[in-house]
Amino acid sequence: MASQLAGPAAERGRGAVPRTRRRGARHRFVRNPRAIAGAAIMAAFVVVAIAAPTLAPFQPDAPHLRAILHPPAWPYLLGTDNLGRDILSRVLVASRVSLAIGVLSMLVSIVLGILVGACAGFSAGAVDAVLMRVTDVVLAVPVFFLAVAFLALFGPSVPGLIWIIGLTAWPPTARLVRAEFLSLRGRDFVTAARATGASGGRIVVRHLLPNVVAVIVISATLRVGLAILTEAGLSFLGLGVQPPQPSWGNIIADGREYLATAWWVSLFPGLCVFLAVMGFNLVGDGLRDAFDPRLQV
Amino acid sequence: MGAYLARRVLVLVPLLFGVTAITFALLVLAPGNPVDFLISPEERGFTDVSVLRHQLGLDRPLPVQYVSMMAELTTGRLRSFSDRRPTIQLVGEALPTTLILTATSLAATVALAIPIAVVSAVRPYSGIDHAATLFSLLGISLPTFWLALGLIYIFTERLGVLPASGLRPVGSAGYAPAVIWPYLIMPTVVQALSILPVLVRYARSSLLDAFGQDYVRVARSKGLGERAVLVRHVGRNSLIPVLTVVALLLPFLLSGSVVVETIFALPGLGRLAVGAALARDYPTVLTTTTVAGVLVVLSNLGADLGYFYLDPRVRDG
Repeated sequence: MASQLAGPAAERGRGAVPRTRRRGARHRFVRNPRAIAGAAIMAAFVVVAIAAPTLAPFQPDAPHLRAILHPPAWPYLLGTDNLGRDILSRVLVASRVSLAIGVLSMLVSIVLGILVGACAGFSAGAVDAVLMRVTDVVLAVPVFFLAVAFLALFGPSVPGLIWIIGLTAWPPTARLVRAEFLSLRGRDFVTAARATGASGGRIVVRHLLPNVVAVIVISATLRVGLAILTEAGLSFLGLGVQPPQPSWGNIIADGREYLATAWWVSLFPGLCVFLAVMGFNLVGDGLRDAFDPRLQV
Repeated sequence: MGAYLARRVLVLVPLLFGVTAITFALLVLAPGNPVDFLISPEERGFTDVSVLRHQLGLDRPLPVQYVSMMAELTTGRLRSFSDRRPTIQLVGEALPTTLILTATSLAATVALAIPIAVVSAVRPYSGIDHAATLFSLLGISLPTFWLALGLIYIFTERLGVLPASGLRPVGSAGYAPAVIWPYLIMPTVVQALSILPVLVRYARSSLLDAFGQDYVRVARSKGLGERAVLVRHVGRNSLIPVLTVVALLLPFLLSGSVVVETIFALPGLGRLAVGAALARDYPTVLTTTTVAGVLVVLSNLGADLGYFYLDPRVRDG
């Protein structure tokens, strides 16, 4: 699965994906309607998150006491909750914390995954064996149990969420990077680089990493979606983003008691989680299909 | 046989150590005094914290602390802050519910995933295959707790046909299937849908792989019908690796049980963990996390045993 990615440039000893291949991948991505739909959803959420305070018709935590559990109708387009807060405004503002946690925890997990995967795949042997056992351990622990324990002991906070989601999500990336490295390290261009006296670090950074960029980008995109799901779940349980700060997960939790009479409170934030995660998943899948459908990301 | 099993068990020892050490690491790294996390203020009485530290072995080297914490945990000396009983006992009471829910979810997932995967793999890139792919994508993007609320809204609030909380009617006890099945339907559906896409995707590629093998060409060229090829040759060979994935999916199912049990008020391990976390009942939280990790390790062993019985190459090799 790795060899297709290396391409002819690798044989020439430059260790970079040739321009034509990249252009081919871009072409395939643009021609894929699902990938474009995903990119549009992703872009829409990013724009909304940035512009949220301007777009929100009301203050997200302002109680409208005469409009408690108001059904979706003007001026409360998505209705109000049990405190009379405007759901649309809350959902808009909540997109910021959800996307921020998604992206930042993705960075934590991707950096860790690359570090572990690169060390394991490049050094092979005993280092590889030890690092892979550690990866197995992290993979074996049910994330929600660990996150619940972490948030109970350290107290729930946004940085805490970023760390715990990031620190539990790196093993798949590490495995992918390791597998790519293992298959690349014996290739001629690596031997050539070594023969010219390149250090291990230089070989990893200049020759090996450029060949796994596709895998990393695909993995990173999918990680953001997964992180948003995890954050929403933890916030729903009351262990994530704490009220009064709105997050999609805790708005859904707010609506839980009023499900029978005020379905709109839980429906719309859930729809946001669903759409945002789907956007990232569509883009991730589209990137995989564009670069190489056989990649097991 | 003995050698194979011995090797598998040996591989699991570091894994077992790892998953339990993670909980221990949380305790050591958390801000504050570990004694505060392990012994409730009421139980502490007027005892000096330093005396307690010594009793718990917290003034000794980390490896000793780890061993003593595992001992406290398994012998029941670690007591819940909120109801004063040994945490291991609370976990023991919660375990059957989680195991039952996990078993029904796994059964439902496999029962759905295999036919879907077969239909997609028999005609790859057909309409049905694309529909299955799209369905998978929707499935992995769906927040399970939101789906659960949707089901409750439809089947409990609107139609009134399924109970939305608990495992059995108030006043009854035990786990008789005749009594608990209506309570398990919605939780099982939610859990099964969360892992279904992964299993379908994996089973499909495993089947496609098998269809390209030489033995399939041989079977076809000797005039065997497609059905016989599928059932006797492709199916038997490609579904063994699916067992591994089922074992790998267990951490996801257990993770999911945290959310699903909380929503449906099922008295299982996940709900115990969340309730304890919200009540700052640290010993119970630490015990549930450790036990959840141990469960995964044991299920890996189970998968190895399954391989052993299903795959003659492993059994006789």
